[in-house]
Order: sequence, then structure tokens, then C-alpha cells
Amino acid sequence: MNVENLKAYIESGVLELYVLGDLSPEEALQVEEMAAQYPEVKSELTAIEIAMENYAMENAVAPSADIETKLFEKLGLGKNEEVEAISTTPAYTEEAKVVKLDNSDSKVRTLRFALVACVALLMISTGALFITYNKLNAAHDQIASLNLDKEKFAGVVSKLEFDNKGLDNMVAMNDSKEWATIRMAGQAFSPKSKMNVYWNKKDKSVLINYVAMDLPKADAEHEYQLWALVNGKPVSLGVFGKTDSTSTEALQKMQAIQDAQAFAVTLEPMGGSVNPTMEKLAVMGGV
Amino acid sequence: MTAYKKLTLTEPELVLALQSKDPAVLKTLYSMYSSALYGVISRIITHTELAEDVLQETFVKIWQSAAHYDNTKGRLFTWMMNIARNLSIDKLRSKDFKNSLKNQDIENNVSFVDEQNKVTFNPDVLGVKQLVENLKPDLQAVLNLVYYKGYTHVEAAEKLNLPLGTVKTRIRLAIIELRRSFN
Repeated sequence: MNVENLKAYIESGVLELYVLGDLSPEEALQVEEMAAQYPEVKSELTAIEIAMENYAMENAVAPSADIETKLFEKLGLGKNEEVEAISTTPAYTEEAKVVKLDNSDSKVRTLRFALVACVALLMISTGALFITYNKLNAAHDQIASLNLDKEKFAGVVSKLEFDNKGLDNMVAMNDSKEWATIRMAGQAFSPKSKMNVYWNKKDKSVLINYVAMDLPKADAEHEYQLWALVNGKPVSLGVFGKTDSTSTEALQKMQAIQDAQAFAVTLEPMGGSVNPTMEKLAVMGGV
Repeated sequence: MTAYKKLTLTEPELVLALQSKDPAVLKTLYSMYSSALYGVISRIITHTELAEDVLQETFVKIWQSAAHYDNTKGRLFTWMMNIARNLSIDKLRSKDFKNSLKNQDIENNVSFVDEQNKVTFNPDVLGVKQLVENLKPDLQAVLNLVYYKGYTHVEAAEKLNLPLGTVKTRIRLAIIELRRSFN
């Protein structure tokens, strides 16, 4: 069928009669075949249907309210009110409730199982928590003892570093020709003591090395004082700390002295003395 | 069921629910379309009680023959409206209808005659809204005879003393006017 014929078919009014139910079954079948074959016919049919639908809606007449109830009773669909079709309320509210009641027994059983499972889980959890708590305490003890060890080792390491520095300096000074090493030996006050003093021949500076000394421990009110004997007279070169001092520098610079025949160390009250206390002469050695 | 059962549903939803015999959809269909269908039924059958019987029968038939509805052949409403119109015409021609007219009190004999006369229709008293202001009365008369009075176009042609082709053309022009007014 060409476009012209199709247009003539649409305009013949047969589609309108089809929608109005005013065709014989044979004629209706023909329209249905045409509609299936030609989209133009189908869309024209739909437009006519929608127009008539709107027309019917505009001319609607409300029937009596009880017709609906009668209809549902006649169809055996229960009371009209029980069948809910309106808006967001789900249909079959009643049935949904019935389903819930049917399941209630098995639901209680399920809940009971759940309760038992919960109690069992709680007991296991408590046990596990207790074991974990004990392990945690043991771990804490271990950490504390490890910390002690660590501090101890750190102390040892810093002492070793300190000694190492001092020893390095001693070696360097022995090798150098600039530095004279004066060995001081223990005296009557502390016969076992010994100590070295390093004297630079060029700039006359004096160094002591905490590593290269072995003096008795001084108490809190006393400290050692280094003296140089210049032409029989003692000249103070300064005081120095305790032999177990852990200051980072193993070497300590003392006052320089231009000329000296001997060096000595005495134990003096804090701050040093003007003249050496000869009774407490710890070490002495000649140049 | 689910919350999609709104007061109005799209046609495919309605058809699907209807064919699965979901009672809720009948309620929806009824609230959506009963008045529109009754608008036609009550104009074909002016007797209120009988018209309401036909409305009920219409929905019973919609419910029972939902499986026969074929959406490739047309819209659901067209199918329902044709059921309503056919049942109305059947009722009009049935014994039931004639009996109901006879079941008048003897005092109403005069009106009985009137009722008998009423079987031949008067399109001028249809009470159909003049929707389209410029829809010519002769166009609307033909359309309403067929749509609201259950006439076939052949009967309408006889009634209006018009050639068959003219009746068909007027029906088409009337519906074109309707389409224009609803757009």
C-alpha cells in the first residue's frame, strides 16, 4: 500500500469506527492487520483511542458508592474495604499480618537459638579476653626489663665512646712530637694513683686526659688541682673534675705554662686553693 | 505486594496486574475508570438501577475475561469501554429491560408508554458536555449517537437520514476536533 492509499485508508473513518466498536469482526481483523503492518495506522488508532478516553473522562458520571462493594462481593473477593488499592499503602496488608503470625513460632525458636549462641559467644569472648589480659601483663613486664637493659647498654656504650675518644687523643699525642707526656706517679697520699699531663712544646698549652688518670674519687666538697712547679714554686693550672666524670670531652684544657720543671696534683677544697695542700699531694712527675 | 499500586497506574502495569488476577488492581481500575464507563452506560440506559447493574456486569466481565485482552489490538480503556457499551446494548434489547419497564405501577401507565418511546433515542437530551466550543452540533450529534447511545453508524445514518459516508466523515471530523482540543 502506497502513501496515498494509506492516507485515504486513514481518512476513510474506519479507524474511528474500530475504536467505537462499530465494525464487523472481519472488518475489525483487517484494521488490526493494517495497524500491525503500518505504524502510521497504529499511531492514528492510538490518538483516536486517547481522544475518546479523554472524552469519556470528561463526561464521567459517578455511580452509587455501594456498586463497588457489591461488585467485590459478587466476585468473591471479600469485602471491598479489605482490598486496598489506594496510594502508597501496600496492598494485602491483612495477608502480610497473617504470614507474620504463621511464622511467629519458628521466629521464637530462631530467637532462642540466637540467644544461646550469644551467651556461648560471650563466654568464649570473656575467656579470650582473660588470656589476652595475662599475656598483655607479661608483655608489659618484658618491656620494662628490656628498657632497663637498654638503659644499661646505653650507659656502657657512652662510657666506651668516652674512653675511646680519650684513647684516640692519647695515641695522637704520643705520635705527635709537639706534645710532651709527663707521667705523674702516686705519692704518699695515694700511692696507687697515676696520671698523665700533656704539655705542648710550642704554644705551652696544658691538657689532661680523663682516660689517662687513675685518682681516688673526690668527695662532694673536694676537687683536684693541677700545679706546675716553676723554679721550686707551685703555680696553679686550674682545677678539674672527678675522675669518673662523664662529660663528653675526655680532654680538658688547663692553663698554659711557659716553663715548668714538674707537675703535681693535690686534692683541694671546692674551687681550689692559692697554695697546694702538700699533705694531699696525689701524684707528681717531673718533666 | 509492593507500593507501586497507586490510585493511577500506567496501562502496562494495570494490564499485567489484571491478568495476574490481583484483586487490588480491580480496585484501582474501578477507581480510575468506573465513572467514565458509567458515563456511557448511564446514557445508553437511563434507568439508574439497570445501568448500575450493567456497570457491575462490566467489571465482572473485565475481571473474568482479562486474559482475552490483547494490548496489540488497542488500549485497555477502549477494550473496557466496548465491553461496557456491548453489555449496555445487550441489556437494552433484553427481556430484563423490557420487564423492568413493564414492572411499573398501574398508575404509571402513561410514563410506561413514555419509557417505551425512550427506547428510540433523542440525542439532544444526552447531557453531554459541550467540550469543544467550535465543534459543530451536527458533528457532535453523530459522535454522541454512536459513542453515548450505542448506535451503529448504520443506525445513526438512518436516524439522521444521512448517507453512510457522511456519517463516517462526521464521526472522523468530530474526533479530530476532540483530539485538537485535548492537545
